[in-house]
Amino acid sequence: MSNTQGPPPLPPPPVPASPGPGSPQDVPPLPGELGVDPTTLPGPIRDELLAPDPQAIDTASDELKDGLNRCPKCGSTDIRQRAGTDLLICLYCRHEWRGERVEEAFGFGEGIDQLSGTVIASGARDIAADAASLMTFKCTGCGAEVTVNTDHAMTARCHWCRHVFGVNEQIPNGAVPDAVLPFHIKQDDAVARIRQFVDKRRLFALKAFKEQFTPENVVGVYLPYMIVDGNVSADVAGHGEVETRRYTRGNDKNKQTYYDADVYRIDRHVDFTVDDLPIESSATRGNLDTGTNTNNIINAILPFDTKNAVKWNASYLSGFTSEKRDRDVEQLRPRLEDQLLSIARAQVHASVARFDRGVRWEQERLAVHGTRWVAMYLPVWLYSYHQPGRNGGMLHYIAVNGRTGETMGSVPIQQWKLLSVALTVGTFLEGAALWFLAHAS
Amino acid sequence: MSDDGGLWLLAIGPTGAAALYWALYRFYRNTDKSHAFERETAVDAKPVTGSNDKVDKITGTRQTRIDGDNVAAYRKRVQRVE
Repeated sequence: MSNTQGPPPLPPPPVPASPGPGSPQDVPPLPGELGVDPTTLPGPIRDELLAPDPQAIDTASDELKDGLNRCPKCGSTDIRQRAGTDLLICLYCRHEWRGERVEEAFGFGEGIDQLSGTVIASGARDIAADAASLMTFKCTGCGAEVTVNTDHAMTARCHWCRHVFGVNEQIPNGAVPDAVLPFHIKQDDAVARIRQFVDKRRLFALKAFKEQFTPENVVGVYLPYMIVDGNVSADVAGHGEVETRRYTRGNDKNKQTYYDADVYRIDRHVDFTVDDLPIESSATRGNLDTGTNTNNIINAILPFDTKNAVKWNASYLSGFTSEKRDRDVEQLRPRLEDQLLSIARAQVHASVARFDRGVRWEQERLAVHGTRWVAMYLPVWLYSYHQPGRNGGMLHYIAVNGRTGETMGSVPIQQWKLLSVALTVGTFLEGAALWFLAHAS
Repeated sequence: MSDDGGLWLLAIGPTGAAALYWALYRFYRNTDKSHAFERETAVDAKPVTGSNDKVDKITGTRQTRIDGDNVAAYRKRVQRVE
């Protein structure tokens, strides 16, 4: 902000801002936004940029009902999820049934505006300090001991009599959540989406990655999340400017635009509720530092249709791996408050539209009246590639949302190739500029 | 064509190279992608209330936007008041 009486000295040459590599701390670009005009690029690059993205499928599912680990018809324990549905199927008698939706069973979608204090579902309780990952079951069929490592799997089969054991009781080690959202996207579909994603990004991809690319190795993983409802109020305060006059000064060769503006002190208050905000409850997955990992890729395929989650039943996890929660509610609270403040800022944006020269928010306040936390397993197809390098290299993920099919990934880059193309284009542009200057003077 | 206009044109080469590099880098690595919870979460908000008080007037500035404009940078935190 400045008050000037006469024309100020000439400014330094303006350099257009580089878009930069971006960060998950920035608001992500709108779908389809590229940051560069593809029509100005060479053919192969343009084709990659403009090729169609994978289409998401319709995730609407029917009402779900009760489910048990034992087949209600024949009592067999050999139960799996029927691929592509929320159904459980008994592999012995082929009987099929549905799990009960937690939304109806526990009323998780109701009364958010009446929430007060912190309501924690039983599966979201604090993790016991002495909790162990290995759980041993005594097989009721043959007496053998069967061990389940809850770090990676929630079911195991007795190697003698083939009974299937699932960790269905909520043990205090954070492994058993309140609800699970079954996979809808089948492996073949996930493979096709990953292949399509990578096919759009082959030109500058690392040679070793292209050679070793085998999307059939995709793994279905249930990742731990806290699904949070909140009843909050927020205040923001700052300054905004409204343009009152615009005029030019200087001669024909050196015209400059000047602005007059009114400055306002602004404050805004908003009361709102949020429904089913997902937060990573694993410290590893919650670390979105793009300088050291590519976890933001998995974060980017959110949200899930968490309204269709069913009551916890380990049979849904048969054949899939899982990761265990290692964060309690209090450890996740700062992240929740950060996201609630961001939502508040987005909510008040429309109310300051008249400040056409922008708003500088300087202070913000959040009052959390009530929250409700539900621990949930969400389904993700993960393809990973380890790129060797300094500090252990980088693990790149291509992730497919197991419900909607939304696909996002990180493809390792052949740096020298990308740099040489960028330098070539830059040299061409510089040459064009020099030619223009030589002929204009 | 004035001299300053010529200097500005000389920045086209490096700027274009950097812009193309970062655009393609982002397209491959997607470092800027994350869950857009501001847009994709079900939020039920009551009407926004507040006030605007005129406190100053600016004349003859060449800045096109207010200093520190963060109206759309929802994730940039400012001073938290308890």
